[in-house]
Parts: sequence; C-alpha cells; structure tokens
Amino acid sequence: MTGEYRPTVALFYCQNIPQSSEDHRRVLEKKYGQSMRLFPIPCSGRLEPIHLLRALEEFAEAAYVVTCPEGACRYLEGNRRAMKRVQRTQDIISSIGLEKERVGIIIESSEAPEPLGQLAERLLERALKLAPSPVLKGAMTTKEHPSP
Amino acid sequence: MITAEQKPIQEIRDMISPYKKILVLGCNSCVAECAAGGEKETAMLASALRMAAKMNEEDVLIEEKAIERQCVKDFVILLDDIIDQYDAVLSLGCGAGVQAVGDMFYEVPVIPALNTEFLGETKEQGLWLENCLGCGDCMLYYFGGICPLARCSKQLLNGPCGGSMEGRCEVDPDMPCAWQMIIDRLSRFGALERLEQVYPPKDWSKKQGVGPRRIQREDQQR
Amino acid sequence: MSRLRKVLDSGEFAVTAECGPPKGADPDAVLRKAELLKDKVDSINVTDNQTAIVRMSSLAACSLLKSAGLDPVLQMVVRDRNRIALQSDILGASAIGIRNVLCLSGDHQVFGNQPQSIGVFDLDSIQFLQVVKGMRDEAVILGGERLETPPDLFIGAAANPFADPLSFRVVRLAKKAAAGADFIQTQCIYNLERFGTWLKMARDRGLTEKVYILGGVTPLKSAGMAKYMKNRVAGMDVPDEVVKRMEGVPEGKQREEGIRICVETIQALKEMPGVKGVHIMAIEWEEAVGEIVDQAGLLPRPTLE
Repeated sequence: MTGEYRPTVALFYCQNIPQSSEDHRRVLEKKYGQSMRLFPIPCSGRLEPIHLLRALEEFAEAAYVVTCPEGACRYLEGNRRAMKRVQRTQDIISSIGLEKERVGIIIESSEAPEPLGQLAERLLERALKLAPSPVLKGAMTTKEHPSP
Repeated sequence: MITAEQKPIQEIRDMISPYKKILVLGCNSCVAECAAGGEKETAMLASALRMAAKMNEEDVLIEEKAIERQCVKDFVILLDDIIDQYDAVLSLGCGAGVQAVGDMFYEVPVIPALNTEFLGETKEQGLWLENCLGCGDCMLYYFGGICPLARCSKQLLNGPCGGSMEGRCEVDPDMPCAWQMIIDRLSRFGALERLEQVYPPKDWSKKQGVGPRRIQREDQQR
Repeated sequence: MSRLRKVLDSGEFAVTAECGPPKGADPDAVLRKAELLKDKVDSINVTDNQTAIVRMSSLAACSLLKSAGLDPVLQMVVRDRNRIALQSDILGASAIGIRNVLCLSGDHQVFGNQPQSIGVFDLDSIQFLQVVKGMRDEAVILGGERLETPPDLFIGAAANPFADPLSFRVVRLAKKAAAGADFIQTQCIYNLERFGTWLKMARDRGLTEKVYILGGVTPLKSAGMAKYMKNRVAGMDVPDEVVKRMEGVPEGKQREEGIRICVETIQALKEMPGVKGVHIMAIEWEEAVGEIVDQAGLLPRPTLE
C-alpha cells in the first residue's frame, strides 16, 4: 500500500489512431504500469457497454473510448455507434448513482489526431480529478502499484 | 416476438434487496431480439447490480447466466444443477418466462427484471412495433394485412375515426393511422369494397372467454 | 316521442345545442344551462365525459333535462363501457323517457384526466349503432335474445367531413346510415367548401335521403381559440381566412365576430340541399346560443303536437 491515490484508467482505442501499434502500446504499458490498461479494438463500433461496465466493476476508476474522427471510420459508422454505447453506459452508471464522468469518449480530430501516448497522459490526468471509485473502495488498498 | 423493456434499476434493487445470492437469468429468445433480456443485457444488468451493491457495501453474490428459452421446460430444467446455490432468481425473461421458471423451481422466488410489452415486429434496428393482440381469431385478411385491433388506438373494426389527419393518428402524431394504412393497402389490391360492409362486434371470447387460454394438442403430447 | 325527430320529420330546420355536464354533482349546474337553452333549441345533446374528463354522467344529466321539460340527446361513447353496460344503459335511458341517443367512439382516454384508465372499445361506434337499432326495431340484444319491451330512441351518429381520407369519409357515413343512424351531427364546420364537397358526395350516394344531416358549428370566442382549434385539435379544419378574420378585430370585439361567423355559417348551411338542421356546440358558452339562433332567423322554434 502506497498511501498515494493512483487511479487506474481503462483505455479502449481504435487501432486506426496515430501511434497505436503494438510497440507503442508496450512502451506505454511499461511507463504507466497498473495505472493504465490499454485495450486496442479494431473498430470502436465493436465496443459494447459491458466492456466499460466490467472495467469499472473490476479495476478502473474511469473507462474511456478513443475513436477515429467522425466520418473517417473505416467501417463507416463504428465511431457513431461507439458514441451511443458510451451514452448508454453513462445512463446505466448514473442509474446506480455512479458519476457518469467515469465513462467518456474522445473523438479524434481529423486535422490533428492526437497520438495514443499523448491521449493516455491527458486521460490519466482527467481521471485524477475523480474521487476514488466507490465501486472499488474495498479492493483499492490491496492493489499493488509498481513504482513508475 | 414478445417485446420487453428493462425496469428501472432502482425498482429492481428494491425487489432483490431481501436476497443475498441472486442469479440474474437471461433468455436468448424474444427478449434477446428486442435487446432487453439476452446474454448481453443480462451481463450488463448483473454488472450494474454488483457495482451498486459494492457502492452500498452490501454483501451479496450476484451471478449471471442466460438460457435459450425461459418459457420452455426443457431449457429451464438445465438450471437444476445450480439453482440451489441461489436464494432468488432475477429473470430477464418475459412474463411467461418468469412464471415458467417459477413453476419449475417452486421454492425460489423469481423476480421480473423486465416489463413485458407486446407482440411485435422489429421494424428496424432499435424500433419495435406492436402489431398483434393475440386475439385468437385473426382478421388480417379483411383489413389488407394490417390489424386494426392492435394498431388503431380505438380498436375500430369500422374506422377510421374522425381523428385521422394526413395519415397520422390523433392520439400520437408520430403514429401512423392504421385505418389510413388499411385503406391504402386494400386499394392497392383493388379490394376497397371489403370496407363497405359493417364488421360485426369482435368475438372476444376467443381471447378471454374462459379466462386464461390454453392450447392442447393431442398429436403433440406424449 | 323525440322532439328532434318530430321537428325533422315535419321538414323544419332543426336546431340542437350541446350541454357539457358539470365537474361535480350539482344538479343546478345542469338546470341553469337548460334554462339558457330552453325554447331556443329543439333538443340538447349532453356530452359523455367529453375529452375523457370525468364529469357528471350523461345519463343523469339527461334525466335532469328531461325533468325540466327539455328533449335531451344522450351522447354515449364506447370508450368507457363494454357491450353489456352499453345495452343496459340504452334500456335505462329509454325507461326514464330519453328519446334520442348519439352513438360515438369517444375521445381517447389519454387526452383526459384519467390517462391511466383502460379504453374499453368493445364495440365501435358503428357496431353500437347497429346494436341500438336492433334493440329498437327488432327487440333483440346482441346474440339474439329478445327484449320484452324495446327501447324507443331516435338514433344519431357523428361524422367528420374534415378528417382523412376524404373519399372514405362518405363510405363511413354510408356505413353509419346502414348500421342504423337516423340523424347525423357533424364536426364543427369552418371550411364550408370542404363541407360542400363532402355533402355532395353524400348526396350522390343518396345518403342525404337516408339520414338527417345536422351541420355542426362552434362559435369562436377569440382569435386564440381559432388558432388552437386549427393547430391543436385533431380532426378540425379551421381555414386561415377564419383565423385572420378573428385576428382582424380588436380583442373586445372578437366574441361578436365569432358569433357573426357562426351565424353566417348557419345561413349558408340552411341553403345547402341535404342539410336538415344545425348543431350548435358553444363550448362552455351556452349564453351565446340564444343570440346565434335569433340572429340566424331560427326563432321561434316550432310548436309541435
């Protein structure tokens, strides 16, 4: 137990965003350790609310989805679907009294898409603003955090 | 298909509150098609309920499973091995499913997680429409394949009423007037004259004559 | 015997008015309205929980009117009663001397103050007409059982010439005539042209010879009411000219203008072959009826044996 609050973020990202190859992922995993759990998905349209819910239930303070820019989806409307599913997930967690900000979606801009590493940094900071998840409270103290 | 929608989480939480070990039971037939009670929805509801329980420091076990059909004994019996581990079942089946599971496992309370709605069609992704009442005496032939009992707000067999405007129903302008649809369809078939006759009062005994209906088929019985 | 029937049979231009029962149990509320309408009209329609709002029962209010010496038209909707209750009320109505009935579907329950109620709709309005006719003319109820004493009723129905589809509106009128309607009261007429089209179609099918058609009118109280009826009331056709005409006069004068439009409409209806009377629905404005009838030259009402 470190005593310091370190949120864990679950990051689901579309594999078409910049610098999101397997190599990049491994680098980021090393950098953030348990604080950042990265889940590449071939298309954000494949994401289901249950993926986000499970992350929140089991380990994550926050779960975010990063999609390719609107209109740029290789499968045409995957990112639009992802938006609706994130919204649905927000409705579900709100209905049990969990802040809906624990789930979010980031749509890459078509002009200047952010690389995965930069996104991870930014989203980890965003998660730091959230209080520890009331879902994970019992579990948090036992979780091991490797030093960065 | 039978359509249904999930009840509000709070209502579900209130109903399951006396129980400690709960099986959240999905049904992969109709309610899966209408995205209310299939495997996916069952997993989501169970996850949400577990999170809610943790947030409120409730010591409960919530597990999930989906079976093919809750309304058919042959499938429900598959729960026989595990049912004793739970003190309640939260069913995402339709009302028939909830009762069939309860019939088989008489000692276990089976709680409905869904509101069962109607017999309907999947019109498009995410849109389901009521179009059959299950009246026991199908009259679709006379009305161009559009049921006025299910689809006219006033169940007129001799419509349309005075509230039909521009093909819309007065009760809800988002709803098409079933009678306009009937007239359009019958004129397509050149069969509008079917509507010149006065259709007699509906024989509702086919629906509720002796209370709950049953179908018994000797050729199908063992 | 029904006064309305006598007037129509004698060839006089009939005048009926509408009386909404109170939201309460006070008989005087009905009798006050009766007083306003007495000698101004031939018969008075009593609405049946109109717009699905709970009010004193139509049957009871009709009974009060009857005792005050008026000729009530009992409006009955199929929304709230199944065929058992409807047939029973028909017998009861006749027994207490009510001689006219108007068979209606009724406004959908969702519009009223009991939106959680079940809509019965066991019969539809046309089937109901047929049932009442069978009871009266053949002394049988649904299913064929005989009545010892059949009801004595003049049977009416409603028609909306302004709803869609126009071509089918007359088919439905024909069905109502065939089912047993003796008279028809129409939806409020503001669009005389469309009404004329519908009436011609009815004439062409010989329907104006089969049923007495009473044109419905409602005096507008204000330009706001005209707009509300135009935009918000389903099945209502208020042309732009009518709205503009109401808007064209200052607010203090709009009621007069509303009455004037109503009188003009009645005068036009009197000239239309096939129209046998007028039905004035002055919604919560029964005071206006006397003036309208007077200005339209319909007073005094005929005295009949």
